[in-house]
This record gives sequence, structure tokens and C-alpha cells, in this order.
Amino acid sequence: MVQEQKGRWFSSTETYGFLLLVSLFAIFPFIWMVSTSLKTEAEAFRVPPTWIPLKPNVDAYISMWVKKSFGLYFLNSTIISLFTAVLSTFFGALAGYGFSRFFFKGRRFLIGFFLATQMLPGVLLVGPYFKILSKLGLYDTRTGLVIAFLTICLPFSTWMMKGFIDRVPDVLDQAALVDGCSRFGVFFRVILPISAPGMVATIIFAFLLAWGDLLWVICLTSTESMITVTLGIARTVGEFQIMWPMLMAGALLGGMPAIILYLLLQRLLVQGMTAGAVKE
Amino acid sequence: MSRFRIKDQHMWAFFVLPGTLLLVLVLAFPASQSLLYSIYPEGGGSFFTLANYSTLWGDAVFRQVFGNTVLFVALSVGSHLLLGLGVALVLNQEIFAQPLFRLIALLPWVVPDVVAGIIWKWMFDPVYGAINDLLIKAGLIGTHVQWLANPRLTLLSVIFVNLWRGFPFVMLILLAGLQSIPRVLYEAAAIDGASRWELFLRITLPSLKKMLAVALALDIVWEVRRFGLIQAMTQGGPGNMTEVLSTYIYKQYFQFFRFEYASAVAVVMTIALLLVSLPYIWMISREE
Repeated sequence: MVQEQKGRWFSSTETYGFLLLVSLFAIFPFIWMVSTSLKTEAEAFRVPPTWIPLKPNVDAYISMWVKKSFGLYFLNSTIISLFTAVLSTFFGALAGYGFSRFFFKGRRFLIGFFLATQMLPGVLLVGPYFKILSKLGLYDTRTGLVIAFLTICLPFSTWMMKGFIDRVPDVLDQAALVDGCSRFGVFFRVILPISAPGMVATIIFAFLLAWGDLLWVICLTSTESMITVTLGIARTVGEFQIMWPMLMAGALLGGMPAIILYLLLQRLLVQGMTAGAVKE
Repeated sequence: MSRFRIKDQHMWAFFVLPGTLLLVLVLAFPASQSLLYSIYPEGGGSFFTLANYSTLWGDAVFRQVFGNTVLFVALSVGSHLLLGLGVALVLNQEIFAQPLFRLIALLPWVVPDVVAGIIWKWMFDPVYGAINDLLIKAGLIGTHVQWLANPRLTLLSVIFVNLWRGFPFVMLILLAGLQSIPRVLYEAAAIDGASRWELFLRITLPSLKKMLAVALALDIVWEVRRFGLIQAMTQGGPGNMTEVLSTYIYKQYFQFFRFEYASAVAVVMTIALLLVSLPYIWMISREE
């Protein structure tokens, strides 16, 4: 009973033992990935496997750029994800503000529509997208992928932005309106600057959603020059002889943007995620 | 909600409609196209037929794929909730270095699922991988286990990896929920002599009900749609042992070019997804 009052449910041994196990479980694959990426091709195929590279080297990271065009894949992923993120956050902020401040007829229906579109599976859309984009000459282009990624990101962005804007007191809008500001003035000069951290979080979240996708890229690209990081990784798996150190180096760098961005903005993202999905 | 209403209520249209129209254009329109394809007979011919739907109804492979998907989703979501709740409960105490533990536990969820899949494919390698090496050294297995090639193990192996990838999200949401439960509730109950199990059942679980519902709904939708993880690990093989709806539809479209049939499968999948998430949509849209 004394323990509950101190905010402890489990004994120290239970607590830290369990946390240690979970942490090991969570982090071990990453350690194995880093270790492999520092091995030579020959060492990766030793039996039994070595846990710490005998002679750590960065050959795998070099051949990533030389033997495969991972540099190009990164460029593609970055451009596509960035455009998607900015576009979807802009339209998401507009809609989020609308849902947050106005109570109009059909509002609930539209909210339901935005939520429902978040549930649609990508495989429902890839077929029509293939045909439509081909007709428009946008198949196998970055523009085509940006349009496609908007389908994943826009509902999320709207939702997250609405959560952030809900936290900005309505009084501020009214004060600005009374001062003669237009609605758009309120939106651009009051709301957006105040919810700038929320916008950053939303942009990053949308960026990572687009960055991590495989389905759309695999369906809507065909040439080497359009390949993104995730597709570059997924394609290597199908090859006859997988060069594991190089693939692990690619996986590490492919996961890096996500890891860094989450480390930097963990709090904001958690806030945004829970604001969208969960009300306290 | 008691919000002061200013006379420019018509302005909602300028804010909400651009995004709505964009969604109709990039999402609703292509979705309706899928619906159309699905009622065209395969290989051309007259409009409107339910032939594709009856084909899939009688297709043994489709049934297997559907079963795989149900098993994959049920076990993934179930294990996410169990482990996520466990870790959240432990992390919600006054402990040393809580942010660090939370950060470490979050890592599997932040990397793209393709990356998660590829790391584990390599870890599961029968001869050169870490898992068998570890288990052999620990004396738990005698020979190299074919985790991804053995038809009996492969789906379970993929689900295990998905447990690793997905539990942090549930943990995160439930931790936010736990932190919002007022401590006085526990203190009052503890004074009345409640055991820690009673505290959990009477206070913790009821307070988390809504968070659990949200986590459950979102996770189900995400796991039904999961593609990259399976594509990276097994591509649906061996045989169709790890084929789920999303990888199956992808193959029907882009490897066998059965557009009409693939659309029908996708429509069935979408209806199932919408049915599952309807209570969630209803709940949230009522509250907002």
C-alpha cells in the first residue's frame, strides 16, 4: 500500500527487469543491423556469425553509392516526401481550422468523410491510379507519387492540425476579427504563427508517412531513376545473392530520418498523435 | 460547446472545401473507379456482372488469404495490446530514466516497415542469422530452424516481427491515457484497502476504456493494410502461407494483370475495413 502511494505498482526488480528485457527486444535488431553494416561481405557469411565485426569498415556504405544508386533513391524519397508533406499540411491546416471554428450544416458528415478516407486501403486505389496516371502522362513520375501520397497524408494532416488549432483559444480569433481582420487574415496572421510547432510536427509526420511507404512506389514507378529508398531496399531482397552488409547500411540510412526526427520532436509528435486520435 | 458565433459562418466553405474537393479528386474518384472495374467481366465484355465476386467466393486461394489476414491481424493486434499495456503500466511509475526507456521502446515503430522487415529477414536467416545462433548457444534448439521457409512457422514468424514493430504505438497511446488518471483515485481506493489487482480492474481499465478502443480501431485498420513488412520478409510465400489481402491484391493487379478480379477483392477488403471502423468513425465524429 505504501508502494501505491509512491506511484509504484511493481517492485524495483520487476520493473527494471521487465524494462531491460523490453529494451533489449526493441533495440537488438538495430544493433545487429549496425554490426552487419560494418562487416565485409565475407564476414557476413561466416558460420557461426560474429556478433562484433572483426575488422569494422565502411565498405558497405561506399558500395551503396557506387554499386547501387542509393544516392538517387534518397534524393527521390526526399523530394517526394517533402512536397507531399508541405501540400498536405497546408490543405490540412485550412480544413482543420474550418472544422475547429465553424459549426455548419453537414459538418459531422464531412468529419465522417475525412475519417472514413483515412480507413481506405491503398490497394483499393493503386489500380485506378495506375490507369489514370498513365493517361495523364504522370505514371512513373515524382508528381504522380506526390498526388498519390496526398491520399495517405491529407486525412492525417487535417486531423492533426485540427487537434493543434483546437488548443488555440477562440478569443484570439474574435479579437482579431473585431480589430477588422478578415477570416483569412486571422488564419494566416494569428492561427498559423501560434500553431507553428504543430505545423512542424504535422509536416514531419506527413513526411515520414510518405517516406515509409512501399505500396504506392512499387505500383506507380517502373524506371530505376524513380526508385525511392524503400523500393530500393525491397528490390534488393529479390536478388539472387543478397549483399547483406550493403543492404543493412541502406536500411540504416533509410530508417535514419525517422529516428532523428522522432528524437528531436518526440514530445510534439506524441501530442499531435494523441490530439488527433485521442481526446483527454 | 459554448462558442461565441460571429456572423461569418458561411466562411467555413473556404477552409473546408479545398481539402474536401482534393480528397474527392484523389481518393473518392479513384475508389469509385475500382468499384466500376469490379463489376466488369474479366477480359472485356458487357457491363455489370457479379462474376468477379462469385469467382473470389469460390476461390480456395482467396479463402486462404482471407484466413491468413484474419489470423495476422488478430494475433498482431492482440499482442500489441498486451505488450503495449504492460510496458505502459511499468513506465507509468515513478522510475529512473523514464524518457530514455520510452524512447528506446518507441524505436521499432518509427522506422519504415520495409526496414523492419528486412532487418528481421536477415536475423531469421537459418545459417547466418542472429536468432538461430542465439538459440543454439542458449541450448534451446539443436539444428538450424527455417523460420521463414517452414510452412508451419513462417506466418507466426512474420506476426512475431509485427509484434515487435507495432507494440510501441499502443504503449504510447495508453501511457498518455494512464498519465491523465488522477492519482487521488488510487490513493482513495488504497486507503479503503483495495489490492493492486483490484486497483487495476476497477480504476485503471475503466479509465483506459476509450484509449483502448481508439488503439484497437486504428491498429486493426493499419494491420489489415500492412504491406511493406510482408513484402520485404516473404513476399507472401512460401506457397501462399504468408499471403495477406494487400499482397494478394497487389499481385493480382501488377503480376497477373487481373484488374477486374483484383478490384473485386479490394472492394471486399474495403467493405470489411469500413465495417470494422464504423463504430470508431461514429464515436469520433459525434464528439468533435
